[in-house]
Amino acid sequence: MKWKKADVEKYVQAKEYIDTILLPLIPFQFSQDKDIELVASQNDLLHIFASEIEKELAGRVMLLPSYHYISSAAKSEEYLRLNSWIQETEKQPFEHAILLTFDASWKKYEKEITGNLIWLPMIQSESFDSKQIKGLIKNQVEQICEMIRAYWQ
Amino acid sequence: MSDYKQQVSRRQFLNYTLTGVGGFMAAGMLASPLRMAIDPVLQPSRSGDLANVGLAEEDITTEPQRVEWKVEQVDGWYESEVTKSAWVFKNDKGEIVALSPVCKHLGCMVSWEGSEKYPNEFFCPCHDGRYYKDGTNVPGTPPPEPLDVFEQKVENGMLFLGKAHPRKGA
Ligand code: FES
Repeated sequence: MKWKKADVEKYVQAKEYIDTILLPLIPFQFSQDKDIELVASQNDLLHIFASEIEKELAGRVMLLPSYHYISSAAKSEEYLRLNSWIQETEKQPFEHAILLTFDASWKKYEKEITGNLIWLPMIQSESFDSKQIKGLIKNQVEQICEMIRAYWQ
Repeated sequence: MSDYKQQVSRRQFLNYTLTGVGGFMAAGMLASPLRMAIDPVLQPSRSGDLANVGLAEEDITTEPQRVEWKVEQVDGWYESEVTKSAWVFKNDKGEIVALSPVCKHLGCMVSWEGSEKYPNEFFCPCHDGRYYKDGTNVPGTPPPEPLDVFEQKVENGMLFLGKAHPRKGA
């Protein structure tokens, strides 16, 4: 399910079945010219991942609005704000928080973060529409879904 | 025509090798079996409302396989290409069956023999929903009705699928 009216209507009727939030962690920056494109394409790709995962597991997973931050921001502060997002979801019977990111610097705070961090390696490509890249993404999505199912066990 | 085709595949191949330098992902792709039968040779073409899903009739077996194809869809403000998918197989009578993979409980994707515990059934990983091979929901599991069935036809030996429709419950 997604954070939109039609889905949320379903959510409130079936809360007990939807126990997992999916939260993409998406940076942006304009201070380093050379990285602008890379960071933006991470945004594209993470959205693809998030929506594909949501499609597979729509009946148990709620995809939240992405968590945005400035690339250079201190993670030592960001993780507190991130935790407060997760805390907010805990006002409902959500039991699992899955965080998706390409940004390895979150790794350092993995223990402090009150959700499960899934770090993905970035795919560098001109476009994410070619057959091969789609195959790669599909395969990764499958593996991430398997990982999420493992959290459910 | 064949020239054009070759060019495309050469470019795709290049694309692939370039991106494959990232090794890790490529290895992941090789290592784990591609469970879904996807990316048919043919581009989807249209015929009425039904779309060519790129699967030849003769390639449909009694073992359900997942096919994917694209359709244009207008959704409120957005017009977009959406990917549709189906589980396709031949039943005991040799008839083609195309089932929607969308679980009738809350909409996760079901997979054929998705759980080792329940061979010969479709399984929904979200709340252990189960369906018999013909799509009928297994009583006592969360799904309230059978999987939807796609409109279908075979033309020039290729399978065409249209809209998915609900069936009567079990
Ligand atoms: S969504 Fe399939 S069993 Fe709940």
